[in-house]
Amino acid sequence: MSWMDEFIPRRKFLELSFKGGIALAATPALLSQLLSCRGKEISSLKPTVDPQLLNQTIRLALENGGDFSEVYLENRISRQIVMEESKFKSAVFGISQGAGVRVIAGNKTGYAYTEEINKTNLKRAAEIAATIAQGTSPATPVDISETSRKSFITVKIPLQEVADEKRIEIMKRANQAGLDYDPRIKMVSISYYDEIRGRTIANSEGLLVSDELPLLFFIVQTLAVGDKNRHMGRERLSRHSGFEMFDEVSPEEVARRAARESIAMLEAEDCPAGKMDVVIQNGWGGVLVHEAVGHPLEADNIAKKIGAFTGKLGQKVAADIFTMVDDGTLPNRRGTTNFDDEGTQMKRNVLIRNGVLEKYMSDILSAKQLKMERTGNGRRQSFRHLPIPRMTNTFIDKGQDKPEDILASTKKGLYVQSLSGGSVNPITGIFNFTCREAYLIENGRKTKPVKGATLIGSCMEIIQNTDAIGDDLDFGPGICGKGGQSAEVSAGQPTVRIRGINVGGTRA
Amino acid sequence: MDYKTLTEDLVKLCLKKGADAAEVYLEINRQLSIELRNQEIETVEEASSHGVGIRVLTKNRMAFASCNDFQEKSLEETITRAITMSRFTTADENNVLPQEKGFSEVEGLYDPELNNVSIDKKIALAKEAERIALSFPQVTKSAGASYGESEQEIFLANSNGLSKNFKESGCSFGVYVVAEKGEEKSTGGEYCSRRFFADLKEPKEVAQKAAQDAVGLLDAQMVKTQQAAVIFDPDVARAILGGILGAVNGERVLQGASFLKDKLNQKIASDLITIIDDGLLPKGLASRPFDGEGVPTQKRAIVEKGILKNFMYNTIVAKRAGVKSTGNASRGGFTSLPGIGPHNFYLAAGSHSPEEIIKATKKGLLVKGVTGYGINPVNGHFSGGASGYWIENGRIAFPVKGLTIAGVGLEMLMSIDMVGNDLDLNRGFTAPTFRIPLLQIGGE
Repeated sequence: MSWMDEFIPRRKFLELSFKGGIALAATPALLSQLLSCRGKEISSLKPTVDPQLLNQTIRLALENGGDFSEVYLENRISRQIVMEESKFKSAVFGISQGAGVRVIAGNKTGYAYTEEINKTNLKRAAEIAATIAQGTSPATPVDISETSRKSFITVKIPLQEVADEKRIEIMKRANQAGLDYDPRIKMVSISYYDEIRGRTIANSEGLLVSDELPLLFFIVQTLAVGDKNRHMGRERLSRHSGFEMFDEVSPEEVARRAARESIAMLEAEDCPAGKMDVVIQNGWGGVLVHEAVGHPLEADNIAKKIGAFTGKLGQKVAADIFTMVDDGTLPNRRGTTNFDDEGTQMKRNVLIRNGVLEKYMSDILSAKQLKMERTGNGRRQSFRHLPIPRMTNTFIDKGQDKPEDILASTKKGLYVQSLSGGSVNPITGIFNFTCREAYLIENGRKTKPVKGATLIGSCMEIIQNTDAIGDDLDFGPGICGKGGQSAEVSAGQPTVRIRGINVGGTRA
Repeated sequence: MDYKTLTEDLVKLCLKKGADAAEVYLEINRQLSIELRNQEIETVEEASSHGVGIRVLTKNRMAFASCNDFQEKSLEETITRAITMSRFTTADENNVLPQEKGFSEVEGLYDPELNNVSIDKKIALAKEAERIALSFPQVTKSAGASYGESEQEIFLANSNGLSKNFKESGCSFGVYVVAEKGEEKSTGGEYCSRRFFADLKEPKEVAQKAAQDAVGLLDAQMVKTQQAAVIFDPDVARAILGGILGAVNGERVLQGASFLKDKLNQKIASDLITIIDDGLLPKGLASRPFDGEGVPTQKRAIVEKGILKNFMYNTIVAKRAGVKSTGNASRGGFTSLPGIGPHNFYLAAGSHSPEEIIKATKKGLLVKGVTGYGINPVNGHFSGGASGYWIENGRIAFPVKGLTIAGVGLEMLMSIDMVGNDLDLNRGFTAPTFRIPLLQIGGE
């Protein structure tokens, strides 16, 4: 009998869940909880389910066979407020809850989720997820017990206690600072987002973990209009923290950074095309290694033996001065969590040390396939998604050079102050990036600004051709997309110089 | 559950709770996704889900709340949340909901048979595509093959008495392979998406394209930095169309954040260029009877023979601009407010075969892959990474990779001198082959 013959319960599940849950809720509906404490926000978003029900679901999921099963429960409350052209255009409140059940049998994974968390729906999800395990021998599940995890997120002013008026005031301050920066700033666009995500994860290895993660994401864009050019500048601020984030970096400062970029780029001229030396300023520029090196070091493609770094563990792959780290424990950063979305403790993982490849970033499945350690990189966008290996806070570690010396010793090239973003083919290692703010380097000095050029190359080349690394490590927040899922990450680097990158300019 | 009644009741409840106007958008869907590699199933994901998004207006102030829990108390609380959030947004007389009660007739959005096709048949498509692609010489590995499908029903009601719903389906399969020669690797992928299962292509056709794209670019070389003709393959339509789409967004135009903002009824492209936004295309992947807020969809020329004819609007932005909604309210699901977006957006076909275009090119680049953001919608700058084939004397000479191409969007559009007849409307966002006679290419 093939596993497909078991398709009937799946179809039934769909029909039934279309009709809506009828069984008694096993966890009080999130909104009902909100309702019961009207006027105040709910104090905890940690999903709570009877441990016996979790044990039953985990066991049921392994009834057909399989090595591993898991229940992931999630609650999320979010707010997004948009201010554009000095008006509060919209305010969006979101609430979602759900649970996913996963079964792993060898290289196969089955996954199903439900939005109404009750005994009947969890049972059906477990049955559907289990169909792939047909015919394999089942592992014996261990009864779950509370597992302790270190915390890397501290909160001084909980988002639950922040009045909406405070959020509004932050946005007004940024708007004013943006407009006041220069009369050529014609529009300021501000997006404020916060969420609290509660997670409970239980699996057949006996794990039971639960936490709640606050997240703030503040984006200011400023449109500058000049005689011959227009440019939209952007600055982002994001942390897993409480509202105290704005005491540490003021909303005015965020707006002024965006405005500075827009004004500076009004003078942008055509960028030359062809290979040249590129100096990338510290901070979000780290997105270059996030894409070019980080994605190819995610273990899923390595386990499939198709990734660009397949079989290169322990080999020298980069310049001696090049050390690259993925660290999900940096306090309160956007890529930080206490444990990943499979419950694995976050840690600092040195991926490349002094040019030698030491580690891939894994989730439970790829770690098992490669017989390697779990690095805490199994992440998912929501309960609707399977966990996959993802980065957290990824950066080039600091070196010994002074940033000003790196620039001064570069005779001719391109100085990239910030990058918009980019992408990579993790199999071939070919990457591309678009510059947000860049300048020509002439005789060791930053001179004319140039229009948004593309940088392209191969991951192996750039890590071998990095010949100067500064001592000024910094980070920037971003959104990373992979396999149709987005994840909050940060990327970082000190000022670095890479020899001979191909630059897509409009003149010779 | 009767969702039509539920959406209508929720609208009434919003008014009762203090909203001056309200809109309820409810989504029910079912999804199946299967991935396999080396003929073995790797993942099966299946679920059905639902959610509701509620937009309220109080004293011309707009707010929105969403949830995926349909218990009565939860829905009530969601409405309260939306009304509470509307206290601090800015009053704007342009904040109105649509009145249009009609539907556009669109055929072929829902395949009633999709759910009855056996899962083995569905998996077989992906398996077969992978098997054939792997049989090509030099194709060494599979990076995976997949089958996916979804069915969705949308219910929409607002306090102007509008209440509509429609059902849609979609299915697709594809394969992604690696070709190798020594140390060198190259990848190629192809997929096919349709509304109806019976319309899906033969696995062989999909496999062939994936394998040829992977193998064709092995042994790719570099060329010198130079100016030459650049021919855009249909695979890279997005590189050009994406920036135009961003620049004809009515809201960006009003805000001055578009390189086309002052160009309405002016020439922005060569005579050969006609760009259509079509919400009515039968079986079109992006066709639908009404847009994200219920306005009937249309087929409209955005650019006609080089002249910019239309921007795109939803109801609120249209009111502000003093025009009518163009039926382009787009919705990213039930969790967000309607924005502005396209339906089937394409560059209309020209008269030349792709072979003729290559033949007419003495020296240049046939681009099969472009990376980067395409044309920047704010300032019209274009820069991207490029791979494909080098053309010499009207013939494909050798594959190239690691190049860049860059230019000024308007100049590029104005100079397009050949447009192909190979338009495939089965893609939602598409163009035939076309040629720009001279563009900066960055290489060695």
